[in-house]
Amino acid sequence: MHAETLQDIAMMHSDALLERAAQGDQKAQGKLVQLWYKRIYNFGFKFFLDHDLAMEVAQKTFISMCRNLPSLQDLGKFKAWLYKIAMNYCREEARRKQNSRSTPFDRVWNLESEQSPRWETSASRIDDPDRQYQRNEIADILHTALMAINEDQRAVVIMKEYEGLKFREIAEVLNISENTVKSRMYYGLESLKRILEKKNINKDTINYEL
Amino acid sequence: MSYKPDEGALIAYLYGELDGAAREKVERYLAGSEDARRELEALKAVRDVMGLVRDKEVIAPPLVIDNRTRFLNFSSPVLRTALAIAASLVLLMVVGKLTGVQVTASGNELKLTFGTPRPAQETPSLDVMDVQSIVDARLASNNAALQEEWKKSQEAFNANVRESLEKNSSQIDRLVTKAAAASEEQISAYVSTLQAENLRMIKDYYKMTSEDQKEQLEQLLVDFAKYLQQQREDDLLILQARLNDLQQNTDMYRQETEQILASIISNASVPVIRN
Repeated sequence: MHAETLQDIAMMHSDALLERAAQGDQKAQGKLVQLWYKRIYNFGFKFFLDHDLAMEVAQKTFISMCRNLPSLQDLGKFKAWLYKIAMNYCREEARRKQNSRSTPFDRVWNLESEQSPRWETSASRIDDPDRQYQRNEIADILHTALMAINEDQRAVVIMKEYEGLKFREIAEVLNISENTVKSRMYYGLESLKRILEKKNINKDTINYEL
Repeated sequence: MSYKPDEGALIAYLYGELDGAAREKVERYLAGSEDARRELEALKAVRDVMGLVRDKEVIAPPLVIDNRTRFLNFSSPVLRTALAIAASLVLLMVVGKLTGVQVTASGNELKLTFGTPRPAQETPSLDVMDVQSIVDARLASNNAALQEEWKKSQEAFNANVRESLEKNSSQIDRLVTKAAAASEEQISAYVSTLQAENLRMIKDYYKMTSEDQKEQLEQLLVDFAKYLQQQREDDLLILQARLNDLQQNTDMYRQETEQILASIISNASVPVIRN
């Protein structure tokens, strides 16, 4: 993971916090949630491209984390362990989404929630709103491309590309061999390449637009 | 140079997860293969583009987690089932106590009693012959009763039929005689009224038509008289016109002859005679 913010650095040096949380320190658990919430939420968001589902997955993941942290033996594997929980909830939600063809009424027509600002999210602080808008538009296109690839490949790509897990860790999360992970990554990137080519998106066109 | 890295190795190299020897191998291969280099570049470009997706900022909502270790976890299905069974047993016992249920099992007998048990009344047992005789007697009496019932209903039915038949036939007779008696005078009355009506109608008709005819005839006569008058006047006019003509003609002739005579007279003095 690239250390971009103070939070990232804090995440990478949180052994002491982890230990206290594992011993049942509620304050430490709360801090751990604060540290990791953004990561797990974004993992879920990239997986579903859906804010509500991402919130749901993050919520469930952290409740499960707080319950089961004391029984985690190797705290060094905390990261893979946490993503494994999140991955399982993602799969559960995906299954549920597939099984229920109906859409909940409040998602079809919930004007109030559409009009009201979502208190959970806030736009990242970028000075130029126009640039921000274009960036959002491109992000939307890239998200859609991500949603277009196979679910297994998508999980690997997200964990590798955005969450910065090692191939070994991803193999642990998904309970498959490291080679399978790498090959899924390879084919995931290939599919993305094809999709981006079809939409005529590459670094030059994006730079031009920005 | 037969080494060709598989997809896994290539991907691991792309993400910098290859250790020394393996990495060198891949690097050496890449140095010798333009295609492989280009492929890796393409994958790297995809990575760069996809890397533009930023994380969404999100604030963790408060998580309310009850982390106390509970002695009883009511949500576990096993415990729930066990508790349900225990509760129903207790309920059964309480109900049993309140209603005074007694269950006794002795020999081949299972007794379920509410309240204090009363000794069962001894009934004199019957042997086969008794049962047979009872059954026979019952059957005989039943048969007799049935027969009697049947006979009675048959008679009642017959009587009913006869009665209704009689009633019906007398009714029909009455109706027929009434109709026969009524018909003669009624018909004559009807016919006479018809005749009277017809008579009146024809009388009216004649009266009306004769009046019409008279009127028409009068009109015709008047018209004819008028016509004759007109004709006579016309004839008279024509006659007068003819007479006038005649008068004029004679006048003309007289004048002409007078002129001729005058010329003759004047010419007579001349020796030449025209004729």
